[in-house]
Amino acid sequence: MKERLVLKEIIVRYKPIISFRVRRAIGYLNPDWEDVVNEIITNVIEKIKKDEFRGESSIGTFIYIISSRRIADYIRQKRKVLKHIPEPKSFLEPSEEFENKEKTEIMTKILKKLKPKYKKVLYLYYYKGLSRKEVAQELGISPRRVSERVDYAQKLLKQLLIKK
Amino acid sequence: MKRCKFDEFIDDYLMNKLKNEEKNKFEEHYFHCQHCFEKMLARYELLRLIKTKGQTIFYEEERGKNRKEAFFIEKITSFLTPKQWAFTTSLVILGIILCLSAGLLLKKPQPQFFLDKEDIVRGESIILISPVKNVKTIPSQFMWKKMRENVEYKISLYLNQELIWTAITKETTLPLSEEVKNLIQADQKYSWQVKAFSPQGTLIAVSSKTQFKIASIE
Repeated sequence: MKERLVLKEIIVRYKPIISFRVRRAIGYLNPDWEDVVNEIITNVIEKIKKDEFRGESSIGTFIYIISSRRIADYIRQKRKVLKHIPEPKSFLEPSEEFENKEKTEIMTKILKKLKPKYKKVLYLYYYKGLSRKEVAQELGISPRRVSERVDYAQKLLKQLLIKK
Repeated sequence: MKRCKFDEFIDDYLMNKLKNEEKNKFEEHYFHCQHCFEKMLARYELLRLIKTKGQTIFYEEERGKNRKEAFFIEKITSFLTPKQWAFTTSLVILGIILCLSAGLLLKKPQPQFFLDKEDIVRGESIILISPVKNVKTIPSQFMWKKMRENVEYKISLYLNQELIWTAITKETTLPLSEEVKNLIQADQKYSWQVKAFSPQGTLIAVSSKTQFKIASIE
């Protein structure tokens, strides 16, 4: 019972992290991501049950290594099989698309109305892809101030999103 | 929220600016650090929005940038009128053409390191003895001064600068064969030349081309 709780905690804690890692590696819109994530989690649970996790490294590192291996295997397989098949465009469920679209519209409006000093930083740093140092030089501020403004813009966006 | 030393990696990771080693380190890190993972998720959402809707969000900023560039171009181009620009450009092109032409004209000829066919080797020369001026009849032989031992001589006979006959000998005289005599006619300008070669085949001396004319044919 205790073991089941521990395993459940591990899944709850690490599934979002594994999902993010997998989607980033194989493509955010790749429909195989869920299967790969499930395989990794199954593998982790099996190894823990078989006592293959001996605590020499942390559980995070253990899961990271298993994830990396599975991702590498997936990419290797896909390279052999799917050389000529084009990437699918979008596999979001209609309801997800709608939810994202609405949220996207709200966030877009909020960003458009941001104060110039925050908006300019986002424009140069994220949209134009300048480095922190280059943005700092352009605006005549320190690189640290650039990071602070980005953090603040993010915080503001979150607060306004909750209000809406 | 308390800061983590990997905070600075988040944006660079999301924008693929990290080197492989740093990227792997950071990927392993967010499996341990809840703070970094949550911050990264939020940043990822913001970045995705900016990348997809950036043109709408930053419309004014883009317009402002284009305006600045247009202003700069306008400032430069308004310095002269279009006619003046056309005239100045033509002058510049003409100047470039003149410089290139002058450069080609003033170019010194390359020094010659190899002899042309007509070049004469300076130094030793072969003295031709006979025939060296107009003669009454077809000469019976060509004669020249001996240079030294072990030399091979090549005789060439020309009619109006065109080679009509050639022969090789180690002697300093060469009788004219019937074949050659048949080539010679009266009142034609002939010239002959002798070249000397060493036993190894190296050219060691050349005579000048001496002209002669036959008064009559017997």
